[in-house]
Amino acid sequence: MGKDFEAAVEGLAAGAAHGASAPPAGGGPGTGDGASHPSVNALRARFGDAILRHEVVAGDEHVVYVEPSRILEILGWLRDDPGERYDFLKDVTAVDFGGGRPLQVVYELWSIPLRRGLRVKAELPLDALEIDSVTGLWQAANWLERETYDMFGIRFRGHPDLRRILMPDSYAEGHPLRKDFPLRGRFSRAEQTRRALALGLEDIYFPEELEVGLGGRRPGAAPGGSDGGETKTDGGGS
Amino acid sequence: MGVASAGGKPLPVAGQGGFSWLTTRLDFVVNWARRNSLWPMPFGTACCAIEMMASAASRYDLARFGMERMSFSPRQADLLICAGRVTYKMAPVLRRIWDQMPQPKWAISMGACASSGGVFDVYSMVQGIDTIIPVDVYVPGCPPRPEGLIYGILLLQEKIKGESVVDRELHARLRAEDPEAVGRPNLPAEVIDQITVPFGNSTSQNRASGLVSTTAVARPSDRRP
Amino acid sequence: MKTRTVEYLVRRNPEMGVDGRPVTVPVLPPGVEPELRGEHMLINIGPQHPATHGVLRLVLELDGETVVRCIPHIGYLHSGFEKLGEYRGWNQIIPLTDRMDYLAPLIYNCAFAMAVEKLMGIEVTERCKVVRVICMELDRIFSHLLWLGTTAIDVGAFTVFLWTFQERERIYNLHERFTGARITTSATRIGGMMADLPAGWTDELRHFLDTFPDTLDQVETLLTNNQIWIGRLRDVGVIGPEDAVNCGLSGPNLRASGVPYDVRKDRPYYDYETYDFDVPVGEHGDCYDRYLVRMEEMRQSVRILRQALDRLPDGPINVDDPRVILPDKTDAMSDMESMIHHFKLVMEGIKAPPGESWFSVESSKGELGMYVVSDGGSKPVRWRVRGPSFVNLSALPKLVEGHLLADVIAINASLDIVLGEIDR
Repeated sequence: MGKDFEAAVEGLAAGAAHGASAPPAGGGPGTGDGASHPSVNALRARFGDAILRHEVVAGDEHVVYVEPSRILEILGWLRDDPGERYDFLKDVTAVDFGGGRPLQVVYELWSIPLRRGLRVKAELPLDALEIDSVTGLWQAANWLERETYDMFGIRFRGHPDLRRILMPDSYAEGHPLRKDFPLRGRFSRAEQTRRALALGLEDIYFPEELEVGLGGRRPGAAPGGSDGGETKTDGGGS
Repeated sequence: MGVASAGGKPLPVAGQGGFSWLTTRLDFVVNWARRNSLWPMPFGTACCAIEMMASAASRYDLARFGMERMSFSPRQADLLICAGRVTYKMAPVLRRIWDQMPQPKWAISMGACASSGGVFDVYSMVQGIDTIIPVDVYVPGCPPRPEGLIYGILLLQEKIKGESVVDRELHARLRAEDPEAVGRPNLPAEVIDQITVPFGNSTSQNRASGLVSTTAVARPSDRRP
Repeated sequence: MKTRTVEYLVRRNPEMGVDGRPVTVPVLPPGVEPELRGEHMLINIGPQHPATHGVLRLVLELDGETVVRCIPHIGYLHSGFEKLGEYRGWNQIIPLTDRMDYLAPLIYNCAFAMAVEKLMGIEVTERCKVVRVICMELDRIFSHLLWLGTTAIDVGAFTVFLWTFQERERIYNLHERFTGARITTSATRIGGMMADLPAGWTDELRHFLDTFPDTLDQVETLLTNNQIWIGRLRDVGVIGPEDAVNCGLSGPNLRASGVPYDVRKDRPYYDYETYDFDVPVGEHGDCYDRYLVRMEEMRQSVRILRQALDRLPDGPINVDDPRVILPDKTDAMSDMESMIHHFKLVMEGIKAPPGESWFSVESSKGELGMYVVSDGGSKPVRWRVRGPSFVNLSALPKLVEGHLLADVIAINASLDIVLGEIDR
């Protein structure tokens, strides 16, 4: 019985390996077939060493790993070059594999006129989680990069407004999607509840909002303002 | 002075001080009016809010319970229906809305997430709104069917039947609010920690994806995965 | 326009003035002009608000009634889905997907299953493909109906809300007959569906498709040529095509600005290229065009559904792959190999090969992207949801600048956002 059991388990595992079916659907025109992608060739030709490697995953998806320091240049070229025209930024996110491995920042690009897509990745070592922001290229990146910062702690240089977006501004437990962040957070539930209910006005309004709300005075300044006329006037004084 | 009850308190007897027929009638009328004209304040956050909207729509029709007038201002509402998951970011909002409601007020926690955190035993989710506001009726479900919500409302109406404006002690117990409690959690810290420990399947699902194990969560009552 | 604010001090004099009213005395001496100052006002909308479509908080800087700046604050519904997904097996994530876009749960169920199947190299059966197309198009109608009802009620038309919810009840019935639940359907599994369509379900769906366009016509007579509706929505919240693409808008919002991008046409899946349907594209990029695009999309979905019902093939609904599909219960109870196979699948979960995959689906709100990264285990290393509403909402500050306060509500409604997928 024991031997049959083992054999059956073996057979099951072997059968599973042979049970793979045909390659998946979901490709489309111009995504590049199994091995080559026109953008990758052009990138290699133009940027040479900055293109670290190229992989094909899930049958027909092309992933290009690039040097993080040149990401702005590369993505800018991908957007503007008439042969590439990746005008639609679908997503900016990151992947943490844990175990001290570098974080991968993932940019998912799509060209609406040319109907093809490309995934660009940049790997950042854990002690240097900084990369240039692409908000200047695609405005869609604004919130996407804020979320990546919030969840992973990656700083985007040049981002106009790099603040937490999903967690409260004063969140002190860390960056949730990192692998060393426990599922239930670092503080106890009672502590989380206490902190949540103890938020003040500065925690729920950004400084520039408070400035407007308090009539042009800097938050915390004396009422009446030290310098007159700093308010946003309309129709001016006389 | 009247018959003593088991608890030592004299039973109310008509005509001898205590509660008269008239005052019990008053209680009946007040409770009847209150329970049949509850103005709900829909604090809808997620999927349960959609079922609450469906309850208010034509097929399930909350209007027949007197709850047609959904009040979105807490100042004019009697019943807070918390429908949906509440995050720690949202918690002060919930507490403030509750504090802004004038007495008499009741709260229904609709759905599993509002009652206990539901499927979301995660870093950002309040594990049951009763840690933040006092809850009268819990409606389980994910989301509860409109019939479930209506059943919860009917249960609340039964509960309101047992209230009293005449019995000062009962009234104080139920309806008095401590101004110091404004903006504070509803339960003390130790109780919050006790009732929000992971239970059931959650205890054995501490491991992220297989080949790379994360640091273990150090909570005393976690079972080892 | 200059605003004058002149302050008077009202004093209760012991001697009342003429006609019994208190005497008012100007604060400033006569002849001195008060300094004219206009202040901007800070208004906070939400997060608890009937018209924000969820727990969205908008902080507006207003100049009178005109919006100078709008700063949305989100995160009030952040449920840690992506983190939670790292602790759940592949099939255990399916119930989580219902709760993200709770207005079109079947679309999310299908999209996630499709992403994982692409990762694992599994091709589902023909019947499953058509059933999933039916599910996705049905939920597109479902989601647009709610959008229609809530947008109408935000702008002030209550009747439409009741009519659309009545139609939605019929779809709720369909959901419930198929999956057992009204909203949180969890209908798909990796490699197939939770169950095959019950007997009579297609007839009920056909009946729905026969009568639903009449309701749409009734709503159109109420709204489409209604001067109030047009006045509230036309030329409000305009965004041009290049801006829309750059801001990452997708779905009806992008198409209303004139960009004909639809994942079903540009990167088709499940034989969408063989279905005969049109994709409505607007021209002006205002709220009214977004309304028209969604109305027409519902009609096109009806068209697709009829074709799908006609071509629904017989055959198994689940793929015959022991890696992912549980064996029949009778087999599991009688045959040793099936029992072991059942045991391994339940106790260890489905194992996906190492790798990653991104799957884009045209959801009712826009382009939904599911990105899964696996390291060979039974749980994902990373599960990322590119929720269309997240990026759509980031365009809101741009859309509302210069508009009136009432328009903010109309524009927000026209973007068709759902906070579950924004905050995840």
